[in-house]
Amino acid sequence: MTITVNVSDVRTSKQLDDIIVTHSLGSCVGVCLYDPVANVAGMLHYQLPSASIDASKAAERPAMYADTGMELLMKEMFAQGAQKQRLKVIVAGGASMMDDLASSSIGRRNQAAIRKIIFQQGLFIHTQDLGGTMPRTVYLNVSTGEVTIKSGGTVKAA
Amino acid sequence: MIQNILVVDDSETTRAFVRRVLGMCGFENDHIFEAGDGSAALGILSAQPIDLVLADLHMPGMGGLEMTRHMLIQPRLREIPVVIISADPNAVRMEDLRKQGVKGYISKPFTPEAFRSTITEITGAIHA
Repeated sequence: MTITVNVSDVRTSKQLDDIIVTHSLGSCVGVCLYDPVANVAGMLHYQLPSASIDASKAAERPAMYADTGMELLMKEMFAQGAQKQRLKVIVAGGASMMDDLASSSIGRRNQAAIRKIIFQQGLFIHTQDLGGTMPRTVYLNVSTGEVTIKSGGTVKAA
Repeated sequence: MIQNILVVDDSETTRAFVRRVLGMCGFENDHIFEAGDGSAALGILSAQPIDLVLADLHMPGMGGLEMTRHMLIQPRLREIPVVIISADPNAVRMEDLRKQGVKGYISKPFTPEAFRSTITEITGAIHA
């Protein structure tokens, strides 16, 4: 089954025939987490770097922000048996969308935010596909933890 | 096996960052030592078994290369690998550093992933 992660959204799965996907990652960043032992997969698609921008909105939509979104994603993963030290981390997105000067800096800020959060969690980024100027679509295979990224007509495994 | 690591940098922030990344790589906190310059590092090296030295190039007092030269003339210290960490874009040609006894180079600013990759390459294995 395909599980779609919308903008400002988090989804997780333990079903081996599931594929988790998020579309149109422009300046937004998609974070994929995978625990290969518990077979738990999760994805976050966030728009903005920090909930401090608007705490009340973050309370309603935590997945809109890198910090509250990651907290939610990890909480949901752990609830399904994932363990932090086993997590494989893949991040994609944070592009500079050149038709919007504001979003071009948001892309970089989103990149910086997730790097900091992942480091603060004591995790390494396994693979990253960040920056550029093209939107991305990211697929996470729950059975294998494999991530595939489509962008600008190219497909690559992460 | 790499167990005791000495981090030599005049920046406390950098030393703390390196300590944290080393911890993420599986090295025990109690086995990570710090020094603010090359002279202080040589003091620790004379008192403590150290398996790897990570040193900034430019520091007030004794810098990383001068420290390395001192280590090379001491039989007990000459086999300890030294990795230079530097923000100096002119510093470095790895070949020149190798001739001066340096085993690896990490360019600042560095990501935790790049740091881990270099340490793995130098040490052959990471504990975690």
